[in-house]
Amino acid sequence: MSAFLQYVVNGLTSGAFLALVALGYTMIYGVIRLINFAHGDVLMVGSFIGYEIVVTLVAQHWPIAVIVLVALLGGMAFTGVLGAVIERVAYQPLLNSSRLAILISALGVSLALEQAAQLIFGAGFSAYPSVLSNAGFSFAGAHASYVQAGMIGVSLLLMLGLYLFVHKTMAGTAMRALAMDKDAATLMGINVPRTIILTFVLGSALAGASGVMQGLYYTEINFFMGFLIGLRAFTAAVLGGIGNIPGAMVAGFVIGLIGSFSDGYISSEWSDAIIFAVLIAVLVFKPTGLFGERVAERV
Amino acid sequence: MRGARREGTGTMNVLRSRTAATAVLAAVALTAAACSSSASSGSAKSSTGTGAILIGVPVPLSGEYASAGTDILHGAQLAATKINAAGGVLGRKIQIVSQDDACLASTGSQAAQKLISQGVAAAAGGYCSTAALPELEAFHRAGIPYVMDASTNPQLTEQGFTQAFRTIGRDDEQGPIAASFITGFLHATRVAVGNDNSTYAKGLADATVSALQKDGAQVVFNNALTPGQSDYTSFLTKIGQSKPQVFYYTGYYPEFGLLLKEAKQLGLKFTMMGGDANNDPTLLKTAAAAANGALMTTAPLAQFLSSAKGYVSAYQAAYGTGPGPYSSYEYDAVGVVAQAIRDAGSTTPSKITAALKSISYSGITGNFHFDSVGDRQPVNYIVITVQNDQFVAYKKYDDSTKQWVNVNS
Repeated sequence: MSAFLQYVVNGLTSGAFLALVALGYTMIYGVIRLINFAHGDVLMVGSFIGYEIVVTLVAQHWPIAVIVLVALLGGMAFTGVLGAVIERVAYQPLLNSSRLAILISALGVSLALEQAAQLIFGAGFSAYPSVLSNAGFSFAGAHASYVQAGMIGVSLLLMLGLYLFVHKTMAGTAMRALAMDKDAATLMGINVPRTIILTFVLGSALAGASGVMQGLYYTEINFFMGFLIGLRAFTAAVLGGIGNIPGAMVAGFVIGLIGSFSDGYISSEWSDAIIFAVLIAVLVFKPTGLFGERVAERV
Repeated sequence: MRGARREGTGTMNVLRSRTAATAVLAAVALTAAACSSSASSGSAKSSTGTGAILIGVPVPLSGEYASAGTDILHGAQLAATKINAAGGVLGRKIQIVSQDDACLASTGSQAAQKLISQGVAAAAGGYCSTAALPELEAFHRAGIPYVMDASTNPQLTEQGFTQAFRTIGRDDEQGPIAASFITGFLHATRVAVGNDNSTYAKGLADATVSALQKDGAQVVFNNALTPGQSDYTSFLTKIGQSKPQVFYYTGYYPEFGLLLKEAKQLGLKFTMMGGDANNDPTLLKTAAAAANGALMTTAPLAQFLSSAKGYVSAYQAAYGTGPGPYSSYEYDAVGVVAQAIRDAGSTTPSKITAALKSISYSGITGNFHFDSVGDRQPVNYIVITVQNDQFVAYKKYDDSTKQWVNVNS
């Protein structure tokens, strides 16, 4: 029983990180129908920015809580801006071209980010200084650390914030309208280019937050880390229904749990195969995902 | 209609024969070019001429294991500098030529091909056995001797290639030593073994598992993780479920660092032990305090060899950091190649190979020669541990007393 609970704890932790990234995929698909393959690499950039911040501030002996906060906000700010820049440079000129063109552009951005990170930070992995304690608590035989609980908490807060933004503010409603029907949104007076940029900023900032938290928690980061995380997060986004924000949040946790149970009850060798089998099954049997696309079909 | 058809087929026939002719011509031209280029590169080889003698070093310079590869390359460069300062070999200088093999079979194969076409007289290097295998095949086909400094998979010398040599031991020697330590010193009866599905890790895991079973221990877990991920908590939880006393991980240091850290986070109490790919200093950066107490089987690191003291300070002076685990074996690999060239009195690869077969070398990693299949004899594996965030020599096996004793005794 204790093992089961432990797997649940592990799965929720990795799921929280995945959900933040899955949100970005789903939001961006919602507004411009693009699967942003560069999204995992935006997370990687966020991780490295956080790394630079933490290393600098640790050397100057700032208090840990402040370092974590500054790293998180700094990483989110940088990746938010990066997301806007990517959209402007690589996607916006192609919005009226074929879907294939913009997809290839996304792949190109992904490669460019990876290689740039390799050139700047080297090919090996970097290690965040250990600033977070391992202190934890046990319940029913499972072990969880306070940091883990904190990470899940912060992720949930960010997700809640996004949900409230999307549903309660004008800008968020504009995003939802744009996802429903681009032409009608324009007719309603929504500034479409600005809304698209806002979507990218928010999605990328969430990925950056996930990247910094993963860096603080796992401490080992590498220029290639975005690839596999991006694939799993993409699976989560599809599972939840691409374009469906609550769906992406739930599915992120689901994929995290699937991975954890697979590692525990089957074998780590099979976990990736199982997760991607889930992706294939969803695409074949229920392409609109578990929660269904919230996007209306264009007539 | 009939006329047109005949015309059509006639035109088609002409076209087909024209295409066929072009194809044949192209094939002939390509073959001629290939033959002539290999002939010309043959003449540009180190075997003739008075230029520098090229020694190829294929190592991972990109990817997860880049730090290990760079460290090995530094060892080779230091060896070349020392040899050249003493006058070179046969009146010519040694020049190190490196190629990145990225620890991948495909890239390794290409790297070896590039080195061969650059005209190396011999190759000394390698890190991952995954890449070393195709590299060795390429060098074997070109008749160039390959002295490996870190690839421990037994297959490398078991394929019957006369060009295979190594200055490092083999996994089927390391496995039994690990098993002997686990059962004989740690007195463990329930052991978990993990690997990352790479050629090296799987080979070492298999060797260790069979040795453990021979020693009478129970292998309660034998499975692989997927390298390159961050979260191994569930993998570790599953191991914990099987209640081992010791967990022996045969993969590489990026994952072992994470395993050490996450095992501590989960409050798991079994002893963590690693194979010789985990002795890299970058492990200490990742795992920090969680690394203390971890054990590792390894060939002795440079800082534990009395014969390597000069090397350690030279490395520190040249690169501003201490040497990694394999650069000293690479230093000896380049050194033994240079000695073989001197003994053979020639830079023809086949003569170098013959000289290596019968050489007896005194290097910074000790005195050694190569046995009939090219393996280093004698081999020396010890167990090291991490204390105060540093690698410390721990125990070695004393054949005379059949006991595990302190390394410095």
